[in-house]
Amino acid sequence: MSLDKTLKKLSVRSPWLFRINAGSCNGCDVELATTACIPRYDVERFGCRYCGSPRHADVVLITGPLTTKVRDRVLRVWHEIPNPKITVAVGICPISGGVFREGYSIEGPIDRYLPVDVNVPGCPPRPQAILEGVVLARSIWLKKLGLEE
Amino acid sequence: MAGFLKVLLRNVLEGPSTDPFPLGKTFTPERLRGRARVDPELCMGCGICRNSCTAGAINITPLDDGSGYTITIWQNSCCLCASCRHYCPTGAMSITNDWHSAHPEEEKFNRLERHTIKYEPCAGCGTLIRPVPASLARRLYAATPEIDPEKIRRLCPQCRRQEDASRNAGVISPTTTETVAARELTSAAPTTY
Ligand code: SF4
Ligand code: SF4
Ligand code: SF4
Repeated sequence: MSLDKTLKKLSVRSPWLFRINAGSCNGCDVELATTACIPRYDVERFGCRYCGSPRHADVVLITGPLTTKVRDRVLRVWHEIPNPKITVAVGICPISGGVFREGYSIEGPIDRYLPVDVNVPGCPPRPQAILEGVVLARSIWLKKLGLEE
Repeated sequence: MAGFLKVLLRNVLEGPSTDPFPLGKTFTPERLRGRARVDPELCMGCGICRNSCTAGAINITPLDDGSGYTITIWQNSCCLCASCRHYCPTGAMSITNDWHSAHPEEEKFNRLERHTIKYEPCAGCGTLIRPVPASLARRLYAATPEIDPEKIRRLCPQCRRQEDASRNAGVISPTTTETVAARELTSAAPTTY
């Protein structure tokens, strides 16, 4: 292993999560809060924790169908997250528009504007499915860093 | 202090309440709503599921040569409401408790439940029809044992009507020879839009 890779491996910390609500109905946000705050699911077991600033984040979880009102703000916040970042679309809203698709104020699906890496559909997905998504996001993140095959 | 010891003792005895998932097994309630499934044996292509689908996740497209249809559910649009299952007249639609939905973006459009269902020729005239599922036909004709559900389910509506008329012709005798006077309309004329 090269010195560069060894240093990288030693310095890589757990991925921190950041949550963006792109006009969601809050159903998915409740499930995200459940995954983080309820000991039964406890996403912090993987070292992931929610951070308050996009600049500290590695994995961004987006909920909601991207409404017209919130679009530019979501994009601004998303661009503040340092690379390499992993975007996870949580719920059917950001993935396909879901029940809001083709609404007059809906700009999504979110991959019109942002590169998405992981999708976790459901309305809302159950906490275990979100955990699966976070674990998948983590392995893609490590791949992007060149630390995992 | 004593309270703390009590909690400590309980934790030592009972272990953590954290679900080991995804490192271990988790629980799945029997009636959890997950992926929707279509039973191609039962589906008639009636389209009620598509019309009742809240999230527009169902598509039914006739094949180009008219020999059948394709029913597709896109899991990434399904909001798990189960209204398709509720309204499906044949019981073809079911909601499984498979909740494993996380997938990488490349698979976004692969998460489909799709069946291509072919029509069959009517046993009477050969027109292409979708036969009534056997279980549904048995239920429909349960009160009339003189009708063979296995036979009638393979007839098109036209042939079924003829079959019905020929069966009744011998049974129902005309009660009157008088011509029936035209009945007076009691409802308002239909509204034109
Ligand atoms: S996917 Fe469903 S629960 Fe989640 S934000 Fe959209 S409508 Fe709400
Ligand atoms: S699944 Fe049921 S409701 Fe939908 S087209 Fe088939 S028979 Fe009709
Ligand atoms: S469960 Fe609801 S959203 Fe999903 S396919 Fe059926 S009707 Fe559509």
